[in-house]
Amino acid sequence: MTVQPSAAAPVRTTNGHRLTFLSAVRGEWIKLTTLRSTWWSIGIVAVLTIGIAVLIAQAVDIPGFEPIQAAVMPIQFTMLLAGILGAISVTGEYSTGMIRSTLAANPVRGSVLAAKALMVAAFMFVSSLLIFGAAALAVSFVVATRDQSVDWSDPSASYLPILVASLAMAVFSLLGVAFGFILRSGAGAIAATVGLLFVLPIVASMFGIAGEAWQWVSDAARYLPMAAAQSAIIPGTGLDEPVAYLTLACWVVAGLLGAWTVLRTRDA
Amino acid sequence: MIIAEGLTKRFGDKKAVQDVSFTVKPGSVTGFLGPNGAGKSTTMRLIVGLDRPTSGRTTIGGREYRRLTAPLTEVGVLLDAKAVHTGRSARNHLRAMAATHGIPSSRVDEVIELAGIGAVARKRAGKFSLGMGQRLGIASALLGDPHTLILDEPVNGLDPEGVRWVRQFVRHAASEGRTVLLSSHLMSEMAQTADHVIVMGRGRVLADAPLDELVRAWTRNTVRVRTPRAADLAAAVAGPDVEIVSVQPEVLDVVGLPAARIGDVAAERGIPLHELTPTTGSLEDAYLALTGDAVEYRTKEIS
Repeated sequence: MTVQPSAAAPVRTTNGHRLTFLSAVRGEWIKLTTLRSTWWSIGIVAVLTIGIAVLIAQAVDIPGFEPIQAAVMPIQFTMLLAGILGAISVTGEYSTGMIRSTLAANPVRGSVLAAKALMVAAFMFVSSLLIFGAAALAVSFVVATRDQSVDWSDPSASYLPILVASLAMAVFSLLGVAFGFILRSGAGAIAATVGLLFVLPIVASMFGIAGEAWQWVSDAARYLPMAAAQSAIIPGTGLDEPVAYLTLACWVVAGLLGAWTVLRTRDA
Repeated sequence: MIIAEGLTKRFGDKKAVQDVSFTVKPGSVTGFLGPNGAGKSTTMRLIVGLDRPTSGRTTIGGREYRRLTAPLTEVGVLLDAKAVHTGRSARNHLRAMAATHGIPSSRVDEVIELAGIGAVARKRAGKFSLGMGQRLGIASALLGDPHTLILDEPVNGLDPEGVRWVRQFVRHAASEGRTVLLSSHLMSEMAQTADHVIVMGRGRVLADAPLDELVRAWTRNTVRVRTPRAADLAAAVAGPDVEIVSVQPEVLDVVGLPAARIGDVAAERGIPLHELTPTTGSLEDAYLALTGDAVEYRTKEIS
């Protein structure tokens, strides 16, 4: 067809649909909840948390051990799943090309990062709250056999550790999101997340027997995400509480700032 | 209206796009042609802000893509590669995209029907054939009922019915006053679809003209003549601007004379003609003539 059509009036779509941050978050919610990998991750977190919590509750019966600790201790394993869920929520978009659709729908890169971070963190927080809650319930059944109980009238021995542990899970998932945007590759982001959360603390602990000259390594290791999270969940270990919270906040801010720096300039 | 001004994109040492400027007008279909690696896809990615230009800028309706308040309702984008998470169903993919603009799910079902993927909408996109993936890409481009369409190889992998559907769809969109920029390697398809053509080669704009004008400028009209007295006719029509190629003993291709003139000359001399066929150049001929030196990945001529 080579006939020039007569000058037609330009179409103006006035359907009122607009891109807002809230709608971008809603898009992220649909993206997160419509992937099987999300539910697999949450399912494994649930099984691990409740299973390990029950085992600990059965095995540990020493004075001064609050039963609620058994419910939140599995975080040492499930933190990896939180980080991995965060990482693959981003790297899955890069490996499949979905990121191009995402950025075409929302060209404001900072908004994409914020919407995804908020959604992943909120999702992880709420899921963890439910899972730790279920674990606490399971633990209270176990310890009831020896006439102990989770004391729900004492916040620091009941829902406070659950709340803080859930918050920590959200923090770990955000670190995964940050590594995802920075590294883009699934394997790289997962390796970095596992390295930071799991491997570095082990490496640092090896310096614990290295003598005075290496004491600074152990001191620094207290500021690693998992160590800081433990100080926040069970006060009195490691860092002071406010310092622990501040440390976790710094990790999140640093991670997301790094992600934003990379995302805002790099070609998708 | 899409405007590119002095667009340059460098990947390391390689200049993928060099000082490209053009305007894509509403109310017509603009075809985007060029060999592989000519910079078409990069240019399209620059328009929608996926890549950052090294210099220059592009606007859609006077604004940069990243400044649009509702990108999906202004620009429908289909990029060459699949841009869908393989683990998500087609419908959920479209729902997620629609949600970012508060587009209701009734519109999602509408574009699913429109693109003809109703039967597979609940299947995971990773299981889709190339053609189905392409239809899903077109469906997401249409979600916001945009006034500008940027389609990179939309008919790639489509069956004949799908190819015709895309052609009719973009023609209809242009007739409604929408702006359409589409790339394709199928010249015959492009010839039927586009009003205007932009040809790129080695990162530069080689031509930017109405399709018929482009074909006229870059092809020659040939007249095929079949006659038992080929040599006599060749002698009779010969002239300084006339080129005669003997294709077969009794067949000549004459360039530079209209068919009527050749027929007249033959009649005057009593030379019998068994065939007199004027052939106009095609878009493909024009394209090949234009991009002859700009092809990055050349194939060997099969002899």
